[in-house]
Order: sequence, then C-alpha cells, then structure tokens
Amino acid sequence: MNIATTASPRTGWNGLAAAAFAFAFFTCVLLLPESDALGRSLPVSMLLGGAFGLLLQRSRFCFFCISRDFFDNRDARGLVGIIAALAVGLIGYHAVFGAWLPVPAAGRLPPDAHIGPVSWVLAAGAFAFGIGMAVSGSCISAHLYRLGEGSLASPIALAGSAIGFVVGFLTWNELYLRAIQEAPTIWLPNLLGYGGSLAVQLGVLALLALFLMRYPWPREETAASPLHAIVFRRWPTYVGGILIGIVATVAYFRVGPLGVTAELGSLARTAANNAGLLPARLEGLDTLAGCATVVKETVLSRNGVFVIGLVLASFASALLAGDFKPRVPGVVECLRALFGGVLMGWGAMVALGCTVGVLLSGIMAGAASGWVFALFCILGAWVGWRLRQRCGKWLQK
Amino acid sequence: MKLSRLLRSTLVAAAGSLLATAASASDFLVSTDWLEQNLKNEKVRIVEVSVNPGVYERGHIPGAVNFVWHTDLVDPVRRDIATKENFESLLRKSGINDDTTVVLYGDTNNWFAAWGAWVYDIYGVQNVKLLDGGRKKWEAENRPLSTQVVAHKPGNITLKDANTGLRARLADVVAAAEKKDVALVDIRSPDEYSGKVIAPAGVQELAIRAGHVPGAVNVPWGTAVAEDGTFKPVEELRKIYAEKGIDGSRPIITYCRIGERSSHTWFALKKLLGYDVRNYDGSWTEYGNAVGVPVVNLAGTVWTGK
Repeated sequence: MNIATTASPRTGWNGLAAAAFAFAFFTCVLLLPESDALGRSLPVSMLLGGAFGLLLQRSRFCFFCISRDFFDNRDARGLVGIIAALAVGLIGYHAVFGAWLPVPAAGRLPPDAHIGPVSWVLAAGAFAFGIGMAVSGSCISAHLYRLGEGSLASPIALAGSAIGFVVGFLTWNELYLRAIQEAPTIWLPNLLGYGGSLAVQLGVLALLALFLMRYPWPREETAASPLHAIVFRRWPTYVGGILIGIVATVAYFRVGPLGVTAELGSLARTAANNAGLLPARLEGLDTLAGCATVVKETVLSRNGVFVIGLVLASFASALLAGDFKPRVPGVVECLRALFGGVLMGWGAMVALGCTVGVLLSGIMAGAASGWVFALFCILGAWVGWRLRQRCGKWLQK
Repeated sequence: MKLSRLLRSTLVAAAGSLLATAASASDFLVSTDWLEQNLKNEKVRIVEVSVNPGVYERGHIPGAVNFVWHTDLVDPVRRDIATKENFESLLRKSGINDDTTVVLYGDTNNWFAAWGAWVYDIYGVQNVKLLDGGRKKWEAENRPLSTQVVAHKPGNITLKDANTGLRARLADVVAAAEKKDVALVDIRSPDEYSGKVIAPAGVQELAIRAGHVPGAVNVPWGTAVAEDGTFKPVEELRKIYAEKGIDGSRPIITYCRIGERSSHTWFALKKLLGYDVRNYDGSWTEYGNAVGVPVVNLAGTVWTGK
C-alpha cells in the first residue's frame, strides 16, 4: 500500500479501497464457522476462493477473452495458459487419486471428483454455454471476477444465468430420462490406469500446446520493476494457469473440486422451488457428480463462501492494479449480457457445471465429460463470435 | 496351582484397572486413547464406515480401511445385508484374520459403523468393537488423521452362516405388535413416532403411512449418547431404558426408518446391557408400506401422495 500511494494520487485511493476489500475478506474468513455439514472447512474454502479470484483477475483468466484473442488475432497465449492449468491440475489430481484409491478398478470412482455422464445433453449444454459466453462477453467465472473490475454488465449476466438455471431445471426431467440416465460415466483411469490416463491426456495437451505455439507471441514490454510486474501489470496467462492447477489440486484435496455455479444454481433452485415453479422431484439430479445444486438448507455453503472469496479478492486485486474501471453499459450490451447469461445458465445446469466445474475440474480428474465439454464449448464460443461479427455493429456496442 | 492362577488374575485385573483410567478397551467399546495407542498393533484392524462421500479420503484414522455402507455392507440389488461371500471377501481384502480385533468408527455418530457391527455379529465374527464417540470425538480431540490408503496383506477370516436370531423380519414385528411378548423400541424422533411426519427433515418420504408399530415405546437413539458422542455409562443406560419398560425381561426388537440408527440402539442394548435384542432393518420403510399390518398413528396424518 505504501508503494501504491507513491505511484500516483489515484492509485492511493485505489490502494486504500483494495485494503478495505482485503480486510473484509480476512474478517469473513476469521468469522466463518469451522466447517459445513460434511465436515469440510469453510475458512479453507473461502481462502481458496480468494486465491482463485486473485489468479483469475491478475492473469485475465477469462475463457471467452482468451478464445477471442485467438479467433481475432491468432494470439494463443491465453489458450496456452488454460493448457498449463490443465496439465498441472491433471498431475496434482492423479497424485491425490493414487493416495485415495490406489487401484482405479472398474466401477470405482474417486469421491466428489467431477466425473459426469457423457451424452448429447452434455454436448448441447456445453455448446449453449459457449455461445452464451461469446454473446455475454465472458463465462460465469469471468463475470464473477469482472465484478471486481467494475463490470456493470456482469450482474445482469449473472442474473441471466440464474434464470437459465431455472429453465434448466424445468427441462431437466425430460433430458434426464431421455439421455442422461443411460449415459456412460467415463473415467479414463478406469480404462487406462493412472499412468496411462496421465500419459494420454498430457500427450494430447502437449500436442495442442505445440500446435498453438506455432503462432508467434506478440512482443511484450518489460515491466519497470518486479513489483510493477506483480502488482500492476497483468500476469502472463500461463503463470496464472500453473497456479490455478495448484489451487485446483489443493481444493480437491481439502474441500472439493473447483466450481463456481453450485451456489448460483442452489439459489436459483431454492427460489424457483419456493415459488412453486419446479417439479417436486428433479430425477437423479442430486446423485450425479458435478456442481451440485441442492435446495438450500443452510445459509453458508462451501461453494457460497468460495464465490464470495473469489469476488472480494478480485475487487482487491483489480483496485490495487488500477483495473477497476466502471462503465455504464448500453442497452444492447445489457440485453446481450442477459440473453448470454440465460444460455450459460441453461448450459451449466444440464452439463452439471461450467468452464470451471466441468472443463477444468473434469479434465483434471481424467473425466471424459470434461473433454467433451471443452470441445463443444469452444465450438459454441466460435459460433457465438461469428454471430457477433455477422450481426454487425449494433451488437458490438 | 489354583492359588497362583488366582493371584495372577488378580494382578492382571489390578493392572487392567490402572490402565483403564488412561485407556480402556471394554468387550465392545474402545476409547480414543486406547485406539491411538494401538494404531501400530498388528492384531487391530480399524474400519471406517462413514456415509458421507469423501470423508474417509480427506483424513481417516491412520491405517483404517474404508467400507462403503451403500455398496459394501448391503446388497446393492435386493434389499438385504451383504451376502456372506461378498462380506467375507471384503474382510479378507481388508486384512482381517480370525484373530483380528476389529474397531469400527464413522461419521453421523457411528450409526453406520453400528450397522457394520451388527452385520459382523450376524456372520459370527468375534472381537468387534466400536470406537466410543466415533469420528466426532476423535476429531474433537485433535488426534492424527491420515490420507494414505494402506494396502493390507489379505486375511484368512472365515465367516459363519448368517445368524437369523439377530435380525427381526416383518412377520416377527407384526407378531410382536399383536402378542406383546416382545418389547419394541422405536428409536426415531418423537415427531416420526407420533406420526406428525413420515420421514425426518431433509429426507425423502419413503413410507405411505405415518405412525409407529403398536406397543412400541419411543426412545430416540440420541438418548443413549452423551454430549461428546460417547455412550452413556452402562448403569445410566440401564435406567433410561428401564423407565420405558425395556429392562431385558422380554426379548427386544429395535427399529427406525431404514435400520441404521436402530443399529446404534441395538448395540447399546445388546452389547452394553447384554439383553436379547434383534434389529429390524426393514424398519418403517418396510412396515409403513406393508399391507394390512396394525399401525398406531397418534397425529392422524393422512398420506395424500403430496
């Protein structure tokens, strides 16, 4: 903070505001109850949420922004960052699996890991999610950290996602009975063993990285000082990615896989339930692995405090770096945020999670569902990006 | 000869009672102290039966193996306890021999661990004990936890055929309701017993009638448990149940909703008090759905399918 005040008068106020958010964050951590109903530590969950929010904000770990960099300019740095996160997380998860389930015998799955059923519903959900993030400008996790950057369209996108979740719950029973109930749950270590699963997936990631690194990286200015590089400049996405891989592993080990939609989905489900909108029973939903959207019974949940930590930390980080730049969105931008949010909410509901809960936490766990989500999500993002280009200037603003 | 044996047993008893203040292992319960001192004991095998997924993996008592209630201790297809073959192979895989002392513990106040103890008893396994206070007490005392899964050398235990005398079936319970020659203990909450609700809060309703078996007395399972999760002293337990007319003079049947909480009370009455007790694992989800059996429904709740 001391250094921030010497940088410029404006950063002085920002530093003070950042300190206030950091104070709020740590106060919450200290005041939280020790654990949730399952005995998982709530303070640890919030600290991990804070670390995740800080990393997302610092390294601009926004799945759509990263994809658009590549679509627009063939700038592959961000996509390589996602691959770095996946590679580190894969190794970390497999190290934990080896301790918890020494033999990945058929029929056995590691506890809590986001290994979901693979069906056309997952593909459709991921595709809708991809379009939604292109239309609204970010995926759900990026909208959360962009709250800290003063993005005023993000609350609208998140509200849209909540509506999308309710639409998802309304379509769930039909989709579950048509496809999801009979869909296979494919965990690669069941088929290939831990060594094989690691080798194949790291191999695929290496090939993807090699392909992407054929595109030259833009020259970056060197930072004025190490402090400047860490506090004020964005970090290279791969730095954030590597650290996210570590956070993901620690999170799985201590409290549960990373995910950002469980609480949002739970709130949407509880509200819709109370309003009498939902069927009395959502078939099979509460038995599937993924971002669980249970009807709320307690105020504080593991995922709730994780997301609160994420948002508070992104505020602190963005304010300190001078990335807090609120701007009033236009009508079209608001509509895009809302509509894109609905698509993302529906997609995340039927796919049992989003780019964090299914793509990151799924692939790291060696789940086929993670790879299917990744493929169809990026396809959707590309289609959404083309749509925005085709639909001309009025959609851009 | 006789004298020396008497002397020796007196000495052993004296030493035992001295030790008991620090660490005790009764016939059916072990204390957290005793277990911590016996973590390296080759003759002791610790088994966790927790119902919440991920609890064992994120930290269990060092050396413990993990039994999953929903698949390991019951038959996952027909409603029944685990078959002899499956249970025997599970025990052997866990390194349990004929002379092993098994210590069971778990989350939710040892309910599912107690179910485990009941299944062990049905198959005639000796030397099975519960960790008094379960996982809750072990954690509260900040004792060590491990995330390593240890592979044990396969054991050689041989199970006996199922002893049906420890298990009550629907016909036994109906007969008890009609003849009153057997004492019935309903260990559910007072609201379930009276019929105000069919299932406890947060649990799906699985019976289509409310109430209890005629003649059953209501002693919620928690009555047998002290603040720290341990069983209350034996004399206190004897008094608590005697006040409700459960004094061991008649055979007893315990039941709840699915048979797991009643295993806990079964353990207290059978193992700690030494009464003649059977557990009715069909419990209210079977009885409350059975056609033509007598029911007492004090609250008068009518099932409407809503």
